[in-house]
Amino acid sequence: MAENISPRVNSARLANFVGKPIRLPCKVLSVSGPNIIVEASDGGNVTIVPVAGADSPECTYCEIIGTVSDPTTIKMMACINLGNNLDLKLTNDTIEMMFDSRFERMFGLSS
Amino acid sequence: MSQNDYYGGGGGGGGFLQGGSPYSQMGSPGSGQQRSEAASSLRPINSFQYRKAEQPHNDAPWVLDGFEVGLVTMVGHLVSMHLQTTNHVYTLEDGLGRVEARHWVGSSTNAEQEMEKWGDIKEGIYVRLTGFLKSFGGKKYINATYMRPVTDFSEIDFHFLECITVTLTLERGPHYNFGTGQQQNATGVKSSSAYQLDNSMDIRDEYSHLPPLEQQIIRYLISQDQKDGVHVANIARAIGKSDEDADKLSTAMDSLMDNGHLFNTIDDCHFAVSR
Repeated sequence: MAENISPRVNSARLANFVGKPIRLPCKVLSVSGPNIIVEASDGGNVTIVPVAGADSPECTYCEIIGTVSDPTTIKMMACINLGNNLDLKLTNDTIEMMFDSRFERMFGLSS
Repeated sequence: MSQNDYYGGGGGGGGFLQGGSPYSQMGSPGSGQQRSEAASSLRPINSFQYRKAEQPHNDAPWVLDGFEVGLVTMVGHLVSMHLQTTNHVYTLEDGLGRVEARHWVGSSTNAEQEMEKWGDIKEGIYVRLTGFLKSFGGKKYINATYMRPVTDFSEIDFHFLECITVTLTLERGPHYNFGTGQQQNATGVKSSSAYQLDNSMDIRDEYSHLPPLEQQIIRYLISQDQKDGVHVANIARAIGKSDEDADKLSTAMDSLMDNGHLFNTIDDCHFAVSR
């Protein structure tokens, strides 16, 4: 049953998920026209292209839900605000743990 | 019946266990069906583990990776909620799958309280959910007893890491002896509760770092104090493992031998502790 799976990722892992849904916890850097530039939890910059009608982030930190167009671009379907105070390093460490093959039996993810 | 069975837990139990001791509350007449400790313990799970959890039959406790599951708690993104007259249906996602949660709406007398408790819940936010696993018509859901919005978003990371910690603690036993991770009950399902004290694991010595099964073997051998060693069949009986666990027992024995904790005595079937 592989429905509704949208793993939390960092920018380095985007390449493995082209065309697939993901969640990207990130920090909003700037807004250029309709697009949003964000910094992923591992420090990489990612361009977010919102689909029409998608909410835009209201906080410094947010989680982008969308599909990966290419390894540096995400088509955003929705976004969840994660406040103005978040330890992205912790988030990144957690993401790497979840993809660790030793814990595959707990999360069903593998790298 | 072996001595260990008498005391309720195959896990080398002590007299404080609630399971089968005639002096404990649970053993009092009229207490009806026994409730295991795990039934009221809280296990953090994610959607993937939610999918893996099984119920052998309708009245049986839920089981995840061989461990009984009582209350569960999870953190997820509330994708949708449908408020119906008798119950509210919530759909949660945490990136690993989708979970359905239901909250049965009580009588109208406590409507205000309900509103206070559940009023902050809205679509599109992260929530912390606690409840019991249920199934109805072959469909699994969580019977939600508690839900609140997540306000410190590190809780999302905390939750996933807690899933790892708790799963590993159950599998390997606690790092320090703050309780026990594994108890075998009559149905062969390991119940688990951090509040359950197990005397055999509550000793701090040179064997405390070993996995629970290896500790049980060592402690049994020490308690026997046989110069000529103890036959492996007696060890198996004392540990109270069923036949299918023979492999686990022999792996544990091999590991103990390899690490120099055990040695053969009069023949290949007799073992004694080297100390």
